[in-house]
Amino acid sequence: MEKLYVNEIRLDGEVSTVGLFYSRAEAENIVAQLQRLPEKADCRYEIIEAVAGLSSTNPPKQRE
Amino acid sequence: MADPVLASMVRATGQTNARHYMAATPKIQAYRDSWVKLAPLRDGPVNLQRVAVSDLAATTQRIKDKAMELGANMVGVCRLQPHMIDLGEDVPHEFVIVACVAEDYEKVVHGANAVEEEAMRVYAKCTEVATELASYIRSMGYPARAHHNGASEVQAIPIFYQVGFGELGRHGSLINEKYGASFRPGFVTTDLPLVEDQPREFGVQEFCMNCNVCQLNCPGDAIPKEHVVTHGIKRWLIDLEKCYPYSRLRDEYCHLCVDVCPYNVKSHPETYKAFMKERKQVGYKTPKSW
Repeated sequence: MEKLYVNEIRLDGEVSTVGLFYSRAEAENIVAQLQRLPEKADCRYEIIEAVAGLSSTNPPKQRE
Repeated sequence: MADPVLASMVRATGQTNARHYMAATPKIQAYRDSWVKLAPLRDGPVNLQRVAVSDLAATTQRIKDKAMELGANMVGVCRLQPHMIDLGEDVPHEFVIVACVAEDYEKVVHGANAVEEEAMRVYAKCTEVATELASYIRSMGYPARAHHNGASEVQAIPIFYQVGFGELGRHGSLINEKYGASFRPGFVTTDLPLVEDQPREFGVQEFCMNCNVCQLNCPGDAIPKEHVVTHGIKRWLIDLEKCYPYSRLRDEYCHLCVDVCPYNVKSHPETYKAFMKERKQVGYKTPKSW
């Protein structure tokens, strides 16, 4: 599955991660919903591929 | 199925529902049925004779005492903020009350089914507490709606944080000083004027930066090493695609990230050590000093 972060960028430049999503359609839907909120009027949103930090760094575990 | 990630993964297996949900024991199914049955009672008529609130602190204490009397172990109050409400939903209330019931951590040594049964028992209890508490507040003359597993429009974690129950842990759940992450919630949103609790920090986020026990015990390797920041708060975003094969797409329950958390040791030292000894025997990591 595709993995995408949605980041919220405030007017002062502060970047805040909204969440991790598994399809562009789902990420775009969240952004559209957030953009409709009056308190988020000044925010920009970016959808970026989640690569660093999410891929496994552990050795495979035995199945429980 | 509301969760699009799970729905997609279930479809890929050729099933119509997640295996874990289909494998419920009769007792677990009875707990699930109980919150579905109570869902229609989460809101209702408000007493037209309103009790005047002259002392906010006393009223807040009265509500907290009532929740404890109904069976809660922790109760908190905060103002309901937009980020606490599900996107696209409207909850027309000023405050949210969260009433949590603790799980019996001793169940961990009896296996996954015992842990799940306990979790469902507690969720069912939370449903009762929230439903009764909402009804109690409506009888005082104020609108109130219960939110629980049967139906809800609020988000648990930001409310937990705001009322001072604890801090976010690496495993994605909120860690409380006394109960670790072994507790479940019910909520009531209301217009009854109340005194707000405040967020409280006691070092969890610093602790989780160095302790990787949940990450190293996750069978699906779903807990990331790196965190993100949301409004200044560190969050470790669980990779659901890796979590669900263990927590939803097999018969057995998975609650391991919460059960192995060293914050359980304070309240249950012997059980925690016994449980972690079992984990070590099957090849998983235990806290460094043990």
